[in-house]
Amino acid sequence: MNTTPTFTINRRQILKLAAMFGATATLAACSGPSLGAGAGAADVAVMDWTGITPAKEITWWSNHPGTSKLIEEEIIKRFQAENPEIVVNLVTAGANYDEIAQKFQATSGTNSVPDLVLASDVWWFRYMINGQILPIDDLAKHLEIDTADFNKTLYDDYTFTGNHWAIPYARSTPLFYYNKAVWAKAGLPDRAPKTWAEFDEWAPKIAAEGGVTPLGLGKGASWAAWWFCNMLWGRGGAYSDEWTMTLDTPEAIAAADYLQALIYDKKIATVAAVDQVADFGAGLTGCIMGSTGSLTGILKAATFEVGTGFLPEGPEGQACPTGGTGIAIAADRTPEQQLAAGMFLKFLTNSENTAYFSSNTGYMPVRTSARDGETMTKVYAEFPQFRTAVDQLETTRSQDWGRVFVPNADKELTTALEKIMLQQTDPAEAFAVATTAIATSFDENVSPYL
Amino acid sequence: MPTIEDLHRDTTSAVAAPTPTNVATPAPPRAFTPRKKKKPWKSWLLFLLFAGPNVALLIVFTYKPLLQSLYYSTLQWNLGSASAIPVGLGNYVAWFNDPGTVRVVTVTLIFTVATVGGGMVIGLLFAVLLNRKLHGRGAARTVIVAPYVLSGVAVGLLWLFVFDPNFGITAALLDAIGVASPPWYNDPHWALVMVIIVYLWKNVGYVALIYLAALQSVPRDLLEAASLDGARPMRAFRNIVLPLLGPTTFFLSITTLLSSLQSFDIIQAMTKGGPLEGTTTMMYQIYQEGFQAGRAGYSSAVATILFAVLLVVTLIQMKYVEKRVHY
Repeated sequence: MNTTPTFTINRRQILKLAAMFGATATLAACSGPSLGAGAGAADVAVMDWTGITPAKEITWWSNHPGTSKLIEEEIIKRFQAENPEIVVNLVTAGANYDEIAQKFQATSGTNSVPDLVLASDVWWFRYMINGQILPIDDLAKHLEIDTADFNKTLYDDYTFTGNHWAIPYARSTPLFYYNKAVWAKAGLPDRAPKTWAEFDEWAPKIAAEGGVTPLGLGKGASWAAWWFCNMLWGRGGAYSDEWTMTLDTPEAIAAADYLQALIYDKKIATVAAVDQVADFGAGLTGCIMGSTGSLTGILKAATFEVGTGFLPEGPEGQACPTGGTGIAIAADRTPEQQLAAGMFLKFLTNSENTAYFSSNTGYMPVRTSARDGETMTKVYAEFPQFRTAVDQLETTRSQDWGRVFVPNADKELTTALEKIMLQQTDPAEAFAVATTAIATSFDENVSPYL
Repeated sequence: MPTIEDLHRDTTSAVAAPTPTNVATPAPPRAFTPRKKKKPWKSWLLFLLFAGPNVALLIVFTYKPLLQSLYYSTLQWNLGSASAIPVGLGNYVAWFNDPGTVRVVTVTLIFTVATVGGGMVIGLLFAVLLNRKLHGRGAARTVIVAPYVLSGVAVGLLWLFVFDPNFGITAALLDAIGVASPPWYNDPHWALVMVIIVYLWKNVGYVALIYLAALQSVPRDLLEAASLDGARPMRAFRNIVLPLLGPTTFFLSITTLLSSLQSFDIIQAMTKGGPLEGTTTMMYQIYQEGFQAGRAGYSSAVATILFAVLLVVTLIQMKYVEKRVHY
């Protein structure tokens, strides 16, 4: 018996199918971007904020950096006690900055756009060129936000074409963490190595006497290319000079050669399989470069005493990038909503709340007054490691455009660094591939929008 | 007044058996085909009531995004931007010329062949085992099928720890026999093996369940007849059971292939497409390009290519593989 069904279609069915596709095509054409040249950043024309009444309800998208949900809720509670006429809805919009950014971009042009959104170091620029966020300066002036009190490097991170596009919030830098017990066993002074050359001298002792791999390195996107800034800048190199990639310079190649030598020649560093912070906490490695945002977690998790220090200097001196996230106001909202969002932003980042947030999370106090205030002074007394992170802030510099402003650049640089670290690929070859990809991305995704 | 017999006679005469006379009379030629009687409006209302919501959902959530994606694939569009630049087939040309495309296609092929082929073979083996009268068969069935109903992200996170080369169970087991743990997370090839293993662990229960249902519908008399004719169990399985499982195998080959090519959750939870893009499949590339790189047009082009691949493979299966299936 053969009852194999046959696949046939008659004229009537074809017509029905065509009608269905026609209807959906019409629907499809009703949405999407307009055609033409890139829209570019939001209008920076001076806005007259006087006479505008703040909205009664605003929404803030956060991923609660440093497990700060309760802290953020408390600050909102305080705000509403002072401003009962404005309700702030805190929305968990993702597990990390990337997830928030993906949602924020996807909601563009819809009614679901939040009033306030976290804007991390690798995302705010993209929001800006897409016209999704508002320049802050004008509104900050109207609301009398004391922007001069912000750490200059951290505030100026969000500058482009003479405007600031976000306000610093949960900001961090890489920090050198070391296992004091291992250091003691190796007979080393209780401090971080001042230079990489000094670390090279110490490493054999750490391996022999401490019984651990001296240095743990992290891989993965949004991470490897961040801490590598230290080695790259410390040797006089850079990812880019504004929009021109400079990974083919002798300094950049020398930095990558040094990194590769740590793993394959000197055998004093290892690349963590999953999480270099967990490996360090478990005592598998003697030291790591971790985020200051991980400080509280590392101190809690480690079963040994943890020391902190500045990132080691290279031949060209100290080099430490800034990182973390700021907060931006959405451009596609009414002036009333933007005004209310600005009022909350002013409150959230005032000196008292900055200190409250920093002391509970480990992120940098972004205001000078908060850094030197009573709350943080108490924290420094209890956790001297925190003081190191704050002091290092003075040595930081903003990141290269070639990493943070070009879509996918961080991924391309991460892939190049992973090739160098995991497959012993020639740095010049790995960097050449990344350079080509980033240049293409700039031409396609940045240049038309500037 | 007619009697019952009369009525009976009348009735039978109305449907009289053909006689030589009425058979010989040719039917008058039909001048036209009478139009079908229109369905009453109530039927249409009922149709709309039941089918309408589903059709509307299909249009809004399946066909519309499909066509939109096709349209976006012709644009150079930063996700989030209010405007875009038409580039025609530029995104397709860029994908085919990208040196990374060969790697992505290779990873996709290896992942698909291993998960579909491996899943079918292992699932069939499990089904055959579970079809036997064994102690604890019910519990075993539950254990094998349970992972299928779990969330892919949860499964991925769980296995993230299992494969940890420092603290994981696999490292401990391998260490017990004196073998070092492979670099699951730092070597692109081992990472691909790892996600394939996890995918199989999660989805093999589905294949086993469907095969088990099919095995239980195989007529016992056929197997008994084969046994009486002296056929060994393996021969009976090969010549009787496997052909009878044909429709099930055909069904599974399509559903598992579609599922495998669209796999995302486990890769996202475990490797995020790395290391060195060693676990970046076409599906994962769509996500990376669209939502991480913000290249909505390019991402839509890859999605369209993947859709075309799925369509072609499914049509080929329907046209050629189905012919070999005995229903």
